[in-house]
Amino acid sequence: MENTTRNILIIGGGVAGMSAARTFAGQDVGVHLVEKKTTLGGHAAMWACMATDTCENCSACLSIEMADQVQKQKNLMLHLNTLVKTINKKEQGYEVVLEDKASFNVNKIIMATGFSPFNPGRVNSLHYGEYKNVITTADLNTLLKEETLSGYVNEKPDPKIAFIQCVGSRNREQGRDYCSQVCCKISIRHANKLTRLFPESDITLFYMDLQVIGKEIRPLFDTVSKNISLVQGVPAEILEDRKTNMLTIVAEDKQTRSRVSRSFDLIVLSVGMQPAQNLSKTCGMLDLTPNSWGFFNTDEAILSKDVVIAGCANGPRDILTSKQDGRIAAAKIIDDLGLSPRKSLNIAVFGEGANADQAARAISSKGHAVYLFGPGDSLSKDTPVSVLNKSHIISVSGTAGRFSLFYESEKEKKYLTCAAIIAAFEPEQSLNNLKSVKNRSLSLDSFSQILEKSPENCPDNIMILLDYFGPEFKSFARLALETSVKAKALGKNISIIMNKMLVHGASGQRLYDTARRQGVNFFRFETREDLKFEDSGNGFLIKLKEATLPSIELDLNCDCLILPPALAPARKFKDAAALLHQSFDKEGFLQSANTRHRLTQSPRKGIFFAGTCHDETDQDDLSNEINDILSAFSTEPFDLPEIDTMVEINQKKCAQCLTCIRICPHSAIVMNEKNRPQIVLDSCFSCHLCVSNCPAYAIESKDLANDQIAGKIEKDKVVILACERSAALAAGSLTLPSHINLIKIPCACRISTDIILKALLNGASKVIVSGCHDENCRSLDGSSVAGESVRKVLSIPGINASKVMWEPIAANEPKKFERIISNA
Amino acid sequence: MDNATINKDSDLYKMLNQYSLGDNINECLTCGACNSRCTWFDGEGGPLPRQIIRMAALGLDEQLVNSGMIWDCLLCNRCTQGCPMGITMDKVVRKARSLAIADGKIPKDIKKGIKNRIELGDVNALTKEEFVETVEWLSEEFVDEVDDPKATIPYDKKGAKFLYLPNPRELGLNLLHLTAMAKLFYAIKEPWTLSARHTDVTNWGYFVGKDDITKKMALMVVEPAEALGIETLVLSECGHGYHALKYLLEDIIGRKPEFEVVSMPELVVRYAEKGVLKFDPEVHPYKIAYHDPCNIGRKSKGYDAPRQLLSMVCKGLVELTPNREDGVCCGGGGGLLQDSTSTLKRMITGKPKADQMKATSLPNLATACLSCHRQLGELSKHYKLGIKVDTVASLASESLIL
Repeated sequence: MENTTRNILIIGGGVAGMSAARTFAGQDVGVHLVEKKTTLGGHAAMWACMATDTCENCSACLSIEMADQVQKQKNLMLHLNTLVKTINKKEQGYEVVLEDKASFNVNKIIMATGFSPFNPGRVNSLHYGEYKNVITTADLNTLLKEETLSGYVNEKPDPKIAFIQCVGSRNREQGRDYCSQVCCKISIRHANKLTRLFPESDITLFYMDLQVIGKEIRPLFDTVSKNISLVQGVPAEILEDRKTNMLTIVAEDKQTRSRVSRSFDLIVLSVGMQPAQNLSKTCGMLDLTPNSWGFFNTDEAILSKDVVIAGCANGPRDILTSKQDGRIAAAKIIDDLGLSPRKSLNIAVFGEGANADQAARAISSKGHAVYLFGPGDSLSKDTPVSVLNKSHIISVSGTAGRFSLFYESEKEKKYLTCAAIIAAFEPEQSLNNLKSVKNRSLSLDSFSQILEKSPENCPDNIMILLDYFGPEFKSFARLALETSVKAKALGKNISIIMNKMLVHGASGQRLYDTARRQGVNFFRFETREDLKFEDSGNGFLIKLKEATLPSIELDLNCDCLILPPALAPARKFKDAAALLHQSFDKEGFLQSANTRHRLTQSPRKGIFFAGTCHDETDQDDLSNEINDILSAFSTEPFDLPEIDTMVEINQKKCAQCLTCIRICPHSAIVMNEKNRPQIVLDSCFSCHLCVSNCPAYAIESKDLANDQIAGKIEKDKVVILACERSAALAAGSLTLPSHINLIKIPCACRISTDIILKALLNGASKVIVSGCHDENCRSLDGSSVAGESVRKVLSIPGINASKVMWEPIAANEPKKFERIISNA
Repeated sequence: MDNATINKDSDLYKMLNQYSLGDNINECLTCGACNSRCTWFDGEGGPLPRQIIRMAALGLDEQLVNSGMIWDCLLCNRCTQGCPMGITMDKVVRKARSLAIADGKIPKDIKKGIKNRIELGDVNALTKEEFVETVEWLSEEFVDEVDDPKATIPYDKKGAKFLYLPNPRELGLNLLHLTAMAKLFYAIKEPWTLSARHTDVTNWGYFVGKDDITKKMALMVVEPAEALGIETLVLSECGHGYHALKYLLEDIIGRKPEFEVVSMPELVVRYAEKGVLKFDPEVHPYKIAYHDPCNIGRKSKGYDAPRQLLSMVCKGLVELTPNREDGVCCGGGGGLLQDSTSTLKRMITGKPKADQMKATSLPNLATACLSCHRQLGELSKHYKLGIKVDTVASLASESLIL
């Protein structure tokens, strides 16, 4: 028989590489994954868990789980501890030879070579590698993960700790004139973690322009900023006091208007990302040319048609974006090889603006039938999208592949069956206005329109005010830069007043550089009190105490003051959340910040989010999100044969109380045609919450029934009931002592009081229930359900409090697991 | 609190905005790195480098000139060594000092020195007659020094290979230094000369940022040297002289000179490597610390020759911490040493250096600049460090085996 299976080479076993590999699972392809290290997971797998009381959504633990899944993947050949030696183009595909002498042929290649952290040893004055207590964020991750940080803070309970941002980023002299995008988020999470580990610590974060971007970081930053000092200005030199072992840096002191030295026990250099060391060699083999930074994220980079780039090889990005990148890359190859089902699906898109229109356009262009619940104003007439404007959706039932939308249109009630639903609403925009002046300011959008449509009407002296009504969203910072460059080209005098400039994205820093070089003025304020506004003729007089010039008050005159609008969750979000059984994030935008389903997915299969209704997205992000959703359509057709999730409803016992339908976090239990509850297997995540909660014990687990679990309990041992997505993975890398009895469970929500009591009755010396940190559970409430079960058991008289405990342990916390069992 | 309006038509802004990418004032990211690296030690005021750049970038010429910061600046460029956008502080400050509105602020001594140099050829107003008298007297003494009746300290000698350009202090306060240099030339055994027409390695036009004066002063050295037909111009140990006459010379005069420029330590190392000069390190049987003059080190990348030479003439070299590109200014840079009203201020600006010197716990320190040499000596005395300060070339001269 002719072997027609196509083969894929993935270079790099980090997040992007693993994500791509996972996307090929179940496809008729052979995947060769080459990783230079002896283990999968890349940098993310080495990072510490950033959770405190709750998960802080850093996503590092996901890499451990992905590595575990990839290792079990059937169509995958893993080549660890080796490098690609040669790649030769053949008539069809490529011949690949590895340094360990293995060789094979492939049709397509995914380059997911990742990044290297900037080595601060290149900056002599920071004395990295010389002074013991000068470390990088990467080192801090290791110390936190190994739980050995105390040796680096001079063993003090109240250490003084500094973070210095932008080490090796935004630095043209180092050839790295781009923002590394993730370092601010990393330091904010680190600082948060340290305030919990050392409640008496004194933490200062020195920054250039804090990049507070993203739904998971804004609320966290809000909290962290109250507990640490934030100082604008990044010190470039560290000195060590040999007597006290303290580190000294000099910084500007606004009060005394001079430079003062400050001492710290520990200084953390927030190092940027640079291209992986082997990238240029691999590029040589594949006739690729990266851009001047060594990445592939701008037009200067040259690609070949059989090679797809994924993850940080494309430029700095965070874990979830790398994961998304890997999926998109793999889906592109699946499409290119003609392996996708290419079936036209019915897709519903909800939303009344640019986000929804763009999604509808892109999805219909891939041959799917799109039903847009919104006006579709920006769609051209020949776009094959069914626009169902002014329709009111009454209910959404069913599961992925066969959702049933019940809606009212022109007083008629109708049903629509669709495979998936994309929520792409617009947030509420309202005009910001200054109260202290009579003259009217102009919105940034209107100003952008003027420049676009009638530049002759552009005023001569323009000021754009950012961050005044709250931290700016990145899309407005970008628009402010773009419009100011345009206005400057028209010969106008334009200034931007800001608290910090967001320079996110591949071209963010370059755009900011261009604007400065062309003479756009930039002013910084620290607090709102630094600004005073007065009417001046038809324009404004702004009195500014500039942050860098504290002894001078600047009088700034302008004809026209531009304000970006305020963004807030729209009222519609509430209806949509109720309709789709979805939750909000902390700011009231759609989709929780839980990393298990982000960026675009939800706990309910087939429900997707795109655009500004759920996150801070710009144009590039939105098109990536749409591609990500499309990749789900081409790789996870929703009519696959049903998989056995080991859970079934015993209809004889079922009392039809509907508890299961109400509580299923994945909305995977529906009423069937016989009007009885039924588990829809391809939407079920097998969390077993229904099993633990069915009052009639009617939902049965084939392998994890109460008695089956009880049967695994060994007498006089410490029983650990560990979630297989977190604690069991953390334990996976350890050799467990003989008194430990580890029982894997699909989710902590499987743990009811019954199970704990049975374990104790069967002679367990101690029961530890362990799962994901709060807000990290794939089935949403696993940790709170398990924690509650433990509390209930402990409230029973006669139960010794030391015998039962709940302990969240993430997949990347093996040291914590070790500590918990050694204390047990 | 002062009130100000920005002015992008200001003289300073227009001057600075002409610089190409990498030196352009608009490049500043306001990252604040410069603020952490100024030599002025904390608590004593002094310049805030970022404020200087920001005032310049916003065209606040008058505020900048009046703030005093540009006169406190030591032009050491330490602050902008790590500038992510490659802005160079001394270019900004010197341009600010060159503004017409700053003329009244130029220290009197510097004004007078510039006038002397332009009119009489020497900052100290040494006349040609005085020069000849001094050198001839030194030359007579030199015969005894090297015990050779034919030995001489020549001047205006046509056909010489080397022209030595002294520091004015070598013809005034520190005549012994000139004799020491003469001894080194004597041992090199190649024809050399002084010149009565240009006796001065300094260029105070550089301090005040006036390009025309800087150029004029440089040409006052270059043209007579070319007329003498020398191969190599040998500079006395002088920081800003080295920076202006070696590192920046082509920029300043707009062409290549017809001779090579080296410093005295560089010349001595060259002849030591050829085996012509031999030294006895036992003359200085101790370890010695080395101070990088900012103008020679960080600003001209001349780190190596003084170090090589010291390790030949002493029992080992000890580095100050930090050093080289992170080296700390002696506290007398930027014209401060040349301004007699700044003596007290120099003891403040020199405090970090004094601390550094003290931290070595060594009684000996050398440097390759006569200005640094004087400042460091004064610091040693003021802070009671008990450290003897020498110049690198004079130590070489002492160790010389004839």
